[in-house]
Order: sequence, then structure tokens, then C-alpha cells
Amino acid sequence: MLILARKAEEEIRIGDNIVVKILGIHNGQVKIGIDAPRDTRVVRGELYREIQQANVEASRADRDAAARAAAGLKRPT
Amino acid sequence: MKFTNRQFGELEFEDNHVVMFPEGLIGFERCRKFLIVDDETTEPFRWLVSVEDGGLSFPLLDPALLLPGYATDTADGAGKTVFVVATLRAAGGNSTVNLRSPIVIDNGARTARQVILDDEGLPLQFPLGPPSPAPAGR
Repeated sequence: MLILARKAEEEIRIGDNIVVKILGIHNGQVKIGIDAPRDTRVVRGELYREIQQANVEASRADRDAAARAAAGLKRPT
Repeated sequence: MKFTNRQFGELEFEDNHVVMFPEGLIGFERCRKFLIVDDETTEPFRWLVSVEDGGLSFPLLDPALLLPGYATDTADGAGKTVFVVATLRAAGGNSTVNLRSPIVIDNGARTARQVILDDEGLPLQFPLGPPSPAPAGR
């Protein structure tokens, strides 16, 4: 891991297309602006991990559970 | 080509049926090649089945069945299909779908991505409604 110290308003460039800018630092929170190409995923780490977890759980499904859930969907409410 | 899947046994496919995920799925980045398998017994659930990992499949649902108008801008006009990934819990628990990060397939290129939508109000666990009653005889 590369460790850099940056002040407010300073930038870090990653490759040719990604700019990370420190917009401000207030009360222990850092505000960061990120410019990246549309097809580069930029997402909070917590959300990424939650989606990872959701995918892991989804991958455990079997056809019986799906058939049951399907029957539930078709049932008129 | 043929491969064997834990749930479906031996599956045969043509190369042009493969949907390529250049980045893999989130948490499953190593798996790039998938098939969309229609399954009569689980319809309307379809399956995203890994060609590379015989143990890996994900139930998919057409979001239009749940929420008309969902992610229509994500589909970006013609030629794209959006699926949501379902988490199916055993009897008693409620099954859910992940509305925050759907699968978007480019039908022409046969490529796909699991996108993360910006709308923070979209739940990762949107309930599918109550499970069906236990099978008769129990």
C-alpha cells in the first residue's frame, strides 16, 4: 500500500483517468472528490462489502427454495 | 461445450450463449463466464450459472414483475436487460431481492455488469412477500 499525506485542495492521480481530491477536513471527517471514468466503480467500502455478502447469500439458493418462492410470488394477494 | 453444475447437472452450451462479466460479480470477481438458464420448475426465477465454477449459480428475477419502472434509465434504452439477484431463504424466512446492484446485460455484446445504483434508498434486501405455505403432508 502506498501511503501519501495530503492537505485540503490537494490531489492524487491514479493512472491517466482517475483524480482523487481532498476537498476538506472537518471534525475528523475527510471530504473526498473523485473523478473517474463511468465504467470505474466508485463506492463506499461498506456498501461493497454488503453487496458481496448479499451475493454470497444469493449463491446459496437451490431450486427447491426458488420453486417455493416462485409459488409465493404467483399467489394472489 | 459442456460443463457440470451442482444444481443442473450437465449443461451444454454454444459459445454465443455465454454472457461475459469482464469484472465478474461483486465478491466473485474470478468468475467471468455465465449462462442465463431458464428453469421451468422455478419460473419466474431464472439462474445465472457460472461456466467456470460448477458450484455457483444465482437466482435472478425480472424486476418488472415487482416494480414497474425500476431502473429504466439503467437499461439505457434498447438492447439491455436488467435482472435483480434474489436471496432465497429457507421456509420461514422471507426471500429478498437486491435492488441496489442489479445485473445489466448488453444483449448485443453479450457482456454484463453488476452495477451499483446511486439511489441510496434502494434496498439490498427488498422483500418478495411471504413464503408459500409448507407443502401438503407436513
